[in-house]
Amino acid sequence: MELLNGLVFLTNFVIVPALAYGAQLAIGALGVTLVYAILRFSNFAHGDTMAFGTAVTIKVTAVLVALGVTLGPLPTALLALPVGIAATGLLLLGTDWLVYKFYREQKAKPVILVIVSLGVMFVLNGLTRVFIGVRDIQFADGARFLFTVQQFKAWSGLDEGLAVRTTQAITLVTAAITVAVLFWFLNKTRTGKSMRAFSDNEDLALLSGIDPDRVVRVTWLIVAALATIAGVLYGLDKSFKAFTYFQLLLPIFAAAIVGGIGNPVGAIAGGFLIAFAEVTVTYPLKKVLTYWLPDGMGPDGLVQLLSGDYKFAVSFMILLIVLLFKPTGLFKGQSI
Amino acid sequence: MSDTPYQDDRGNKDRSITRPGGGTAQPHAPGRTTPAPGTPFLIGDAMTGGYGKGPDILHACTIAVDPGEIAVIVGPNGAGKSTAMKAMFGMLDVRSGHVMLDGEDITDLSPQQRVVKGMGFVPQTQNIFTSMTVEENLEMGAFIRRDDFRDTMAQIYDLFPILKEKRLQPAGELSGGQRQQVAVGRALMTKPKVLMLDEPTAGVSPIVMDELFDRIIEVARTGIPILMVEQNARQALEIADKAYVLVQGANAHTGTGKELLADPEVRRSFLGG
Repeated sequence: MELLNGLVFLTNFVIVPALAYGAQLAIGALGVTLVYAILRFSNFAHGDTMAFGTAVTIKVTAVLVALGVTLGPLPTALLALPVGIAATGLLLLGTDWLVYKFYREQKAKPVILVIVSLGVMFVLNGLTRVFIGVRDIQFADGARFLFTVQQFKAWSGLDEGLAVRTTQAITLVTAAITVAVLFWFLNKTRTGKSMRAFSDNEDLALLSGIDPDRVVRVTWLIVAALATIAGVLYGLDKSFKAFTYFQLLLPIFAAAIVGGIGNPVGAIAGGFLIAFAEVTVTYPLKKVLTYWLPDGMGPDGLVQLLSGDYKFAVSFMILLIVLLFKPTGLFKGQSI
Repeated sequence: MSDTPYQDDRGNKDRSITRPGGGTAQPHAPGRTTPAPGTPFLIGDAMTGGYGKGPDILHACTIAVDPGEIAVIVGPNGAGKSTAMKAMFGMLDVRSGHVMLDGEDITDLSPQQRVVKGMGFVPQTQNIFTSMTVEENLEMGAFIRRDDFRDTMAQIYDLFPILKEKRLQPAGELSGGQRQQVAVGRALMTKPKVLMLDEPTAGVSPIVMDELFDRIIEVARTGIPILMVEQNARQALEIADKAYVLVQGANAHTGTGKELLADPEVRRSFLGG
């Protein structure tokens, strides 16, 4: 019973939140990894792309709610998501046409594109704030819980409760569908294979008649979809604030690099790894240990290894360790 | 070396924020063809040119191949063998002279357009998609084809049985000789009217080299004219119907493979007596 109570407590406060957060990071990292694999640079504007997509989705959600259109128990934002993706797609294609295309035609070194993306990041940063403001915005509606602590306790008869919020469940389901569709696209469709070929060997792809402009366009559209989905899921689960999304860049890059940047499987594994590390290290584990350790051996302190304010330090440490000891990441990087 | 500051990568040792190995080929603006009747099937006629704004590497160099033939280009290091082939494929500026394929002047076409016109090209290095399976490599070879290419793939598997066996394996995991077969197979997927091979036997063992030559002869027997650059001059001349010896970007000797093998001057200067 003690063991089970401890496990339920851990699941409620660490495992479920980390799973949801991990899924959000994973989708974010997939976007970063795709740009890296195909366009060959680290896209620092990714966090703000997520913010922009989420901002558009929030606005459309507000309009839908005002019109009385809702999804019942599900958040209305899911209905607005396709509009957000389309708007972000247009934004990224526009940015590419206006900015990146020039450098691509110059055959600029990728490191120059990294700095260019930094500039794009600042512009998008401002654009999003002008568009939606700097406040914290809650936009989740519909049913709040899949099941509540009371329901779980009544069902299981345990002392500890477990609740799963609707947004957490939606995050996991959406992430699973997104990843499945992305992998199917990359591995089974003609366009997906041509993207992998372009990533693998640009010159040979060109000689095989693959249109590089088309590959780049499709990549940006997929990245727009991934960024918006990740942003909306994160915003539903927590809340939307432009600055928070900018800060998400660090755990997302950590996830992509830990997994092996350029490798989609790695991005997913990295996302969950970073999320679990972050949540475990910043959550007070006293109660779990009290349940699990023999009587009287429970810890006196909170066993919170790091204050929540330092959660970014966790990603940063993991990033440093990986770059020092296994720079290619857990999975072999640089291939999709 | 580069004429734009955007290509200056000096001081960037960071391997984590960028991905090295981007392509070097510039997508060309599409060009036009003009009819050129009465010429050999594929001929680079009096080609003069070089890379970018650099000096001329080729000097009035002429290479031709007709159906049913294997033509080889041999010559010392730095003679411009690969350059001559790349010029015929549109990968460098031909400043004077023409390239004609099947009665059409294709000098203005981009390499991609030439593939559509029926030229198959196997580069010397990086000629396969290493992270993709053998079968995906062949599919990418057929990218420009919108029709059903399964029978072409079956023919290639007949020609290179080892590829059928390894078709679901990433091409990067294969041996050097097998990779070359993937590369040739990829180029054959478009059903090209002419196949151009840039040093297909570079870096493989002598046994594998003999096998590759056998395979190339087999490909030629299917009726596809083959133009090939070779380091191993003696073996190449033995299988060649037509051979070009280049020296410093110009034609030095031309003839059938047997004639050149028997030519005392060619023997003395290139074949070691």
